[in-house]
Amino acid sequence: MTRRRVVTAMTHVALLVSGLAWLYPLFWALGSSLKSDDDFFTDGLNPMPSHFLWANYLNAWREASFSRYFMNTILITLGTVVITLVVTSCAGYVLARTRFPGRGFCLGLVSATLFLPHGYTIIPVFDLMQRLHLLNSLWSVVIVQASGGVVFGTFLFMGYFMAVDRELEDAAQVDGANFHQTFARIMLPLSGPMLATVGLFTAITAWNSFFIPLVFTLGRPELRTLAIGMYAFIGENSTEWTLLCAGTVITLAPIILLFVLLQRFFVNGLAGAVKQ
Amino acid sequence: MAVTAPVREHSTDTARAEPPRSAGRRRARRRTYLWSYVYLAPMMVLLLVFVVYPIIASLGYTFYKWDGIGDPSDFVGLDNFRQIVHDSIFWRSLGHTFVYAAFVVPIQLVLALALALVLNNKKLRFASFYRTLFFLPVVTSAAVIGVVIQLLVSNFGDSINSVLLKLQVIDQHVDWLGDPHFALGIIILVGIWHTFGYNLVYFLAGLQTIPDELYEAARLDGAGRFATFRYITIPMLRAVGVVIVILAVIGTFQIFDLVQVLTSGGPFFATEVVNTYIYHLAFGGSNANAVQPDIGLASAASFVYGVLLIAFSVVQVVVLRSLAKRRAL
Repeated sequence: MTRRRVVTAMTHVALLVSGLAWLYPLFWALGSSLKSDDDFFTDGLNPMPSHFLWANYLNAWREASFSRYFMNTILITLGTVVITLVVTSCAGYVLARTRFPGRGFCLGLVSATLFLPHGYTIIPVFDLMQRLHLLNSLWSVVIVQASGGVVFGTFLFMGYFMAVDRELEDAAQVDGANFHQTFARIMLPLSGPMLATVGLFTAITAWNSFFIPLVFTLGRPELRTLAIGMYAFIGENSTEWTLLCAGTVITLAPIILLFVLLQRFFVNGLAGAVKQ
Repeated sequence: MAVTAPVREHSTDTARAEPPRSAGRRRARRRTYLWSYVYLAPMMVLLLVFVVYPIIASLGYTFYKWDGIGDPSDFVGLDNFRQIVHDSIFWRSLGHTFVYAAFVVPIQLVLALALALVLNNKKLRFASFYRTLFFLPVVTSAAVIGVVIQLLVSNFGDSINSVLLKLQVIDQHVDWLGDPHFALGIIILVGIWHTFGYNLVYFLAGLQTIPDELYEAARLDGAGRFATFRYITIPMLRAVGVVIVILAVIGTFQIFDLVQVLTSGGPFFATEVVNTYIYHLAFGGSNANAVQPDIGLASAASFVYGVLLIAFSVVQVVVLRSLAKRRAL
């Protein structure tokens, strides 16, 4: 069996080396964020800084407005996640559990929109926001982003609630629980894993979103998110390399950490979606 | 794609299962319906206002010449459509989008399937750690990755140039993102890297649905690795594979962030894809090819692209389904 062991060891080496090489651009950005401008150019492909220069982070945070971008991104992400979870869990629950008149129509409409290509309808939404006087506010970004994710979330919650044992609800109703109590005290607590899946999906999408905040903050630099801030910065001060790398780390680190902690829910959600 | 799942219709409503006997029960049922609508309303409002209405409204804009300020009043009939159909840049950007998809999708799928086969081995330790490594780019912002790649190229572009010059692969200095031949190639490479993880996870999920007994039976029958792959893995992956291909194609057709950040469609429209083309029409160019915002024209381009995409999706679904059914895959 030594031959098999050699093959296993070689597989591990190959996977580890290629896996770390795969992430090289991220390591390079992380290392470069701690370099001086001179080292940045002389170090070549070596991502390891000779000494750690934290000033890049201070400059990005204070002078390049990354503190503001960071807060905007947090607010947008939180707002989008909360709205999406409330809206889709409620909708998924009633679509799974009650046969109200018009249910078929609603389901059909929701399914049809899943097939339509997204993104090309931004212009009417832009116009709508302008008329609602919500243009150039974080609300417009939150609402538009949440509405983009409601269909997917509703489907996930509907599938989840359908699989929950019916007897639990019947027992609650016998005990005198009304519609809301059944939902809030029985069904919602049961759906913890699905709340995590939809919440994480929404958080990652909202955090990384580029097109929607780009369009809705065109005239207001102080509303930029991290991704838009980076984009604008490279257009305006494209020579401050190390500062941009610090900005990269500030933008990517929180969402990578969140993903690594909760990846079980994310990967299971993706896998479940494609298997259906 | 949750939609393709047949919705399991449990008999969910007790009130319907046993016919109502009293007025009290009927009232209770009506109350349940009422609250159902209330629970559903926020989702339906968001859907109707921000998803359904814009589809209809964007058709309305296509008949006007409008810069987006005030109300559209300059009715031009079908002029915008005529202009789009005759605009060579529209067709070029459509071509670039297809080229992008034609390279990204097959390369990604083959690599992802190969890696998924390696990681699916139950005896392989740390498989989920390796999966995380290769999946990680998916959770990073495409726009920020675009910035990092720009920095990388501007830092190492010259070193790569001098190496290639010495090896006589190229005979003059190359400006990687500024050269029409190389810019789209770089975007394709980064695109493959960025969304590779989705396909890896999809294939892993598909492989896990294949029962071990099948592999066991094949082994007992003396089937080799290739035969097992050809006669068990591939046929069993057919259904999931169709969904993976469709998702991958739809995803690549939405490409915007990477292009906008890396090249903004330049140089000289060499990397313009349809979504950046529409963006530049609607909100003005961000670089030298700045134009006056033309919402009507942008809406017409959006509409044409939307129709093309829907037609393409339908054809794709039909072709892939029938191929899978005839076991030609």
